[in-house]
Amino acid sequence: MAKDYFIHFAQAHTEFRLPELQSISELYGFSVSLPTDPQEQNPSRPFMIVGLESEDHARLLAGRCILVRAVYELWARGTSYTQLHAMNASRKHIWESYQPGTSFKFNVSSVNHTIPQARQREVMENFSYMAFQGPIDMKNPGIIMSCFEECKSIISSLIKRNDGDFKEAFFGKLVAEGSARSLISKFDVKKRVYFGNTSMESEVSLLMANQAQAGPGKIVYDPFAGTGSMLYTSAHFGAFVFGSDIDGRTMRGKNPKSSPGVVRAAQQYGVGTRLIDCCTFDVTKNPWRCGGIMDAIVTAHLILDSPQDGVRAGAKRLGRKEGRELRDMSRAAKDGTYIPPTKPYELSELAADLVTLSRYLLKPGGRLVFFLPTVTDEYEEVDVPTCEGMTLVANSMQNFGKWGRRVCVS
Amino acid sequence: MVRLITHNLLACHAKGCTTNNFPLAFRDVQLENREAEYNPEFLKGFMPKIEWNALVSTARELGDVSLPAECPEPGTETDEFLHALHHVLMEIHVEEGSMVCPNCQHVYRISNGIPNMLLAEHEIK
Repeated sequence: MAKDYFIHFAQAHTEFRLPELQSISELYGFSVSLPTDPQEQNPSRPFMIVGLESEDHARLLAGRCILVRAVYELWARGTSYTQLHAMNASRKHIWESYQPGTSFKFNVSSVNHTIPQARQREVMENFSYMAFQGPIDMKNPGIIMSCFEECKSIISSLIKRNDGDFKEAFFGKLVAEGSARSLISKFDVKKRVYFGNTSMESEVSLLMANQAQAGPGKIVYDPFAGTGSMLYTSAHFGAFVFGSDIDGRTMRGKNPKSSPGVVRAAQQYGVGTRLIDCCTFDVTKNPWRCGGIMDAIVTAHLILDSPQDGVRAGAKRLGRKEGRELRDMSRAAKDGTYIPPTKPYELSELAADLVTLSRYLLKPGGRLVFFLPTVTDEYEEVDVPTCEGMTLVANSMQNFGKWGRRVCVS
Repeated sequence: MVRLITHNLLACHAKGCTTNNFPLAFRDVQLENREAEYNPEFLKGFMPKIEWNALVSTARELGDVSLPAECPEPGTETDEFLHALHHVLMEIHVEEGSMVCPNCQHVYRISNGIPNMLLAEHEIK
């Protein structure tokens, strides 16, 4: 039977929260029941109650989801302590087995606010009716109980908040701390031996790998690999990865004597053997012999035609700009250093091609995860290109003010 | 890199080159063997995608004769066979050399383990 758990989320990339939970639970083959009240799913809130069939499922989520800080078994909640204690007392069957001698630790805290020590003690003492006999153990407790107060406003620094004035309090037993958040630092672009100015920040590349459901024995492909940002995180989760790019220089790096930059970075993360291959080609003129090969296509190719600030490398495809004549090919391509001309690639065209290509290259049930830069005000759902046989699963926005980028999962 | 798993998935894609464009023939190759993690489930799942004759003949050209001429039926793969397949697909790396199309003779160069599959502008479909 499903039990209630509350998840403490990081307040970052909040639109990715539910898609990540759903991707990871589907990857491990279990279900997460979400609250029916939309207000309970509000991504600006730090906590969300979910129903899970087993504590192991809670551990799996905490071990893999980048946005999960911790998962707790829900014992009680309330908009006041009176309400919370009433619920807690009425659900004694949940916690009475810990009464006799289990050592414990008790935390009282708030998100974006520090509760004064005196009141922390007061809150704790008000739970004394639970009559836990076991010793308090701060270092190695049998169970950790936590009581959280959720502040009324999340814009903490701007408002002087009255202590004890909270929106809702949650109380429960810690099941698992989120361990995947440390990967953000591990994959930090600044610590990478090889990167470029279009390398994707680590938190987003981890989220995308999760939405791609990367895992052991799967093949993940980035057709706009660039410096390989999307490959390392998928490989970390166990997938074999392929990369291709129209410009081999971005994968190789500047030093022709050393091994390619993408290979060096993969080795740095201990996933060198999972990087199957990198090839130079234009994915719109690709040499793949057959389709149905890939489990996921994940790409963060950044493309924006508007001249707004923050816009990075424009897309290119093979071909010559209109109005220019074909070069005499008899003297080219003999020495092996020939680089064919490229022409700009319109964003809308690229996105549509990507979806169609994915339909061909992906195995049934495979996922395409890509960025679609959009102008924030003008976006409509219909802007996501479609193709028969591909269904939009999730669509999350990372807002940069004037423009944003959406991770679309098909 | 350029493992045989990749080689088995790449065909010549130059303009008009649609028949007899696979497998690409290796020429002047420098080989390296590098250990890769063994995942039998992955291999079994990938086997239906393999062009078997091309894999066996290419492996033989590169000096590896461990694979049988006939691909075993699904469910009858022995451990010994899967290890041999693992080695051929995942552990033999072509670092330098080129791949040549048997039909149009297009030469795809491999440099530092990365094959250049770009086409010149007159070769685009």
